[in-house]
Amino acid sequence: MGTSECVREAEVLDAVVSGRWPAAAGEGDLRRHAIECPVCADVALVARVLRDERHEAWRDAHVPAAGHVWWRATIRARAESARAAARPITLAQGLGGACAAGVCAALIGLTWPSVAQSLSWVGAALSWGGRMDVLTLAGSALQQTLWPILVPVGICVVLMPLALYLVLSDE
Amino acid sequence: MTLSDIDRIGATATDAIDALQMDEDTFRAFYDRTARGVWAYLSRTTGDRRLADDLLQETYYRFLRASGSYADDAHRRNYLFRIATNLVHDHRRRRQPERFEAVADHDPPAPDTTGDVAARTARRIDLARAMDRLKPRERDLLWLAYAQGSSHEEIASSLGLKTGSIKGLLFRARRRLASLLTDRGIVPATEEKEHRGHE
Repeated sequence: MGTSECVREAEVLDAVVSGRWPAAAGEGDLRRHAIECPVCADVALVARVLRDERHEAWRDAHVPAAGHVWWRATIRARAESARAAARPITLAQGLGGACAAGVCAALIGLTWPSVAQSLSWVGAALSWGGRMDVLTLAGSALQQTLWPILVPVGICVVLMPLALYLVLSDE
Repeated sequence: MTLSDIDRIGATATDAIDALQMDEDTFRAFYDRTARGVWAYLSRTTGDRRLADDLLQETYYRFLRASGSYADDAHRRNYLFRIATNLVHDHRRRRQPERFEAVADHDPPAPDTTGDVAARTARRIDLARAMDRLKPRERDLLWLAYAQGSSHEEIASSLGLKTGSIKGLLFRARRRLASLLTDRGIVPATEEKEHRGHE
């Protein structure tokens, strides 16, 4: 047996834990041993100091009531489960929003040639000055060429708030 | 979010309560048996009673959410201490190494009408300073072994160590604390009373 352990170590600890140490009758032999044995002396000292400290800690402990801890745990469990359940929905909403934005961008891309043509019409009208009624020209331009712009813009006006609502509705 | 989504989330939240590993009555009984011991462990290993309050709540929450199966109450209690130990370690990792402050520094203990308050407080502060000199794991080991009265198997289970290594670790930790206590002249409270009785 090395110097790090002693056969009577458990006996000393048992006497301390059961409160028989150091005063009880019949422990005289064990006490004498603990004075001579460094391992048992350490066990007796440390165990007694920490047992005393434990009594102090128990006396100081003002733990919340079991019902209160249970109540807080259930509220937290509910909130966490609800968050976990909402996660795929939020993901789907995000995907929906992204798809809507993509569709809008594609429509704008498709109609861009018409937009450019309309802009050239407006430029030409302005350069003619007073020779032609600008309002009449603009009216015909709207009827003939600006409708491809209005359609995607209208789609955007309808879809974008919807997409934003779907994405941000959790917050 | 549609109404059916809200219903689904509501149903999931209700299921969350069923998923807790105990019903309320069993939890109350288990908590009443263990809470003071867990709080004492947390407050003495962190040196901070307010932190111990927070970690106590977290410990029981994680315990309730864990899906473990336990052979007996002792096994369940070991698992509880393991959660508490992990929380303390997480806290230590997040923060600078804390000082093991005397608990009385944070919040004065309840007035003691039976003994010498000054001597008791001084002894506790001395002990706190001695504990502060130990490594965190040494504190955990010593508290579980001598204050909590856990066996080597239980300590190993609570701290996530091998049972075979506990004896050696405990010996070294005990030697360190014993020499710190001796250097500071700290004697157990019962011995102090005996001395006073003889005088």
